[in-house]
Amino acid sequence: MPNGAIEVENVWKKFRADKTVPKFYDQMKRVRTSLSAPSRREYRWVLKDVTFDVPPGGTLGLIGINGSGKTTLLKIISQVTFQSAGRCVVEGRIGALLSVTSGIHPELTGKENIYLYGAVMGMARQTIKTRFDEIVEFAGLTDAVNRQVKFYSLGMQMRLGFSIAAFTEPDVLLVDEVLSVGDANFQQKCLKRIGEIVRSGTTLLYVSHDLASVEATCEKSVWLADAVMQATGPTREVVSKYRAAVEQNAALTTSTEGVVEVLKCEIESADGGQPRSETDLKVRLELRSPEALEANFFLGVSQGSAFPMFIVRYSGSFPAGDFEVNCRLHNLPVSKGRYSLWPAMSGHLGGKGKPLLPWRPAMSFDVMGPDAYNLPEGVMVQTNIYVGADWEVN
Amino acid sequence: MSTLATPFGETLVEPDNSGLPDEPPAELLYKHRVKYGQAIRNLWDNREIVYTLAERDFRAQYKQAALGIVWAVLGPVATLIVFVFVFSRVKAFPSEGIPYALYAFVGLLCWNFFANAMSNGGNSLLANKALLAKTQFPRECFPLETMGVQGLNTVISWIPLTVLFVIFGRAPTLATVWVPMYMVIEVAFAAGFALSISSIIIQMRDLQQLLPLLTTLGLFATPVIWPFSEIPTSYHLAGGHLVHKVTLAGHVHAHWVGGISVNLQMVYGFFNPLGPVIAGARDTMLLGHAPNWPLAGVAALGAFMYLAIGYRIFKRLEEHFADIA
Repeated sequence: MPNGAIEVENVWKKFRADKTVPKFYDQMKRVRTSLSAPSRREYRWVLKDVTFDVPPGGTLGLIGINGSGKTTLLKIISQVTFQSAGRCVVEGRIGALLSVTSGIHPELTGKENIYLYGAVMGMARQTIKTRFDEIVEFAGLTDAVNRQVKFYSLGMQMRLGFSIAAFTEPDVLLVDEVLSVGDANFQQKCLKRIGEIVRSGTTLLYVSHDLASVEATCEKSVWLADAVMQATGPTREVVSKYRAAVEQNAALTTSTEGVVEVLKCEIESADGGQPRSETDLKVRLELRSPEALEANFFLGVSQGSAFPMFIVRYSGSFPAGDFEVNCRLHNLPVSKGRYSLWPAMSGHLGGKGKPLLPWRPAMSFDVMGPDAYNLPEGVMVQTNIYVGADWEVN
Repeated sequence: MSTLATPFGETLVEPDNSGLPDEPPAELLYKHRVKYGQAIRNLWDNREIVYTLAERDFRAQYKQAALGIVWAVLGPVATLIVFVFVFSRVKAFPSEGIPYALYAFVGLLCWNFFANAMSNGGNSLLANKALLAKTQFPRECFPLETMGVQGLNTVISWIPLTVLFVIFGRAPTLATVWVPMYMVIEVAFAAGFALSISSIIIQMRDLQQLLPLLTTLGLFATPVIWPFSEIPTSYHLAGGHLVHKVTLAGHVHAHWVGGISVNLQMVYGFFNPLGPVIAGARDTMLLGHAPNWPLAGVAALGAFMYLAIGYRIFKRLEEHFADIA
């Protein structure tokens, strides 16, 4: 196997599912039974039959909701813990950035911590010495490096941790959800640094809830849910599958009933075809209300989250019984992909507090149009907005 | 999962998980194999981590204390003062013609290293939980690192030891060159305990509560304040017959002739190598005797047995450290 390659084959992992601390009596019972019969403890599977491989220099994103097994998988790959079944082989030196503050000792100064954490990450003392200034500079801690780390802000600690790890030059870099605490500036710097590391030939395994950063850094992705792989493939496709699932989940979990019912929902392009980028979009909703209303009516469009990319609003009165709402969105500003439409109504009715129409996806629709661009290094787009542009270069 | 038709990740694949069994097939089960030779080589390659962690703990010990590292000297000096003042009045045990304060202090130095290395080393995996669950260097580094810290503390305690020598107008004898040999035995013994205790404590926290108790008991079960020579070299087990003799002063003296008797010092030395270590340090440094080779050999055998057993326990339990720490 070449240096920097990762092979994960049919990996299973179980955890003990002890709900309470075992009491002395139970412990004794367990010892007795384990002596007489092979132990049959209660456990749960956190990874089931996970298989993938990453070639040297490849980039793989791991996505999934909390508790889907992403971090456990990284721990197995970094040999912090071991699989219960299956095979996992990694060639070369592993740099695991599983938690940026875990190696940092709060009582020591920033400088002492750089030496400590660097050594823990497998860097020779001499290497740390030569790269010391670079690390401090990158972390932006030139003034604070002789201060005890417990007096750092969380963001500073995180910057320190990331900076050390970013200069360890491993063959395989594992990154777990570490960019979430830094400010926007530092996040961008980190992404750029990760890009540099990848370009130098390091294999990257990247875990994040921030799908935009996964799309920006990884060619391929694996989506884990409930301990099993749901989809693998090019990041963009896997991410869109994942987004669809998140939306579906959001629709299922909004359980509050509204006063107003949605009977029907239709979407088409203004010219009658499929929705297209930068073309007007016609939305037609049939609704039913028990009484006449004075209300705000909202329409939102989202991609893979319960929070919309944009929202439009209409304030006015609505009749009792069945009625129709027609809306024409001008120059639909989204790029190619799958989106959800969320209607909602808020306003006053005799009964207090009850939403007229709760925020919930009514339908999803595909938009035709140009593909999203490949982005400059270290950059990720927050939302998939498409804006047409005219250019002129003189 | 079926084998992928295309190279991994080139196209979107949505594996069909409906046929997934509840348990992995038996032939896939993972066996954690420990290759001791490789493990030790790996540990050697990572020795810098041991130094760095020891340095971290040593520095962190005295951070934010106004006197800083001076405390490392003040602690032993305080013990020293107690020793000089208390034991210049009380003479609890025979001390082979050596001032008792000096005699007991040498024992205490050896004991302190062992007790601190054992308790700090025993707790080292728990204390480094955060690192244990996130980084992947050899886990032995944690208990071994505490050996380093305690070693350094012991070296600092040589300052009050020197003061004691001066106070009593004595100097270490030439035979002091043998002391390092005894220290090697002691470190092996302490490391064996630290390795096994630290790995067991992770699974059974009860031991953490028990540890201070064991340390207190150990202090009295080890010849720290009493001389090792209190243990008989010949202890009658069975057979033979008792001979009574009346001395000139009229005392009755009885001793066994024939039968089976054992050298209890040897037995004790095997199971508690610290006894011969302390006795050896006193014999060589204070009295200028050559080492008692058979006794030192037995102690070394015992110490390295503890080390081997401790390391084996540690490696056996290591697989689950990160999961349950």
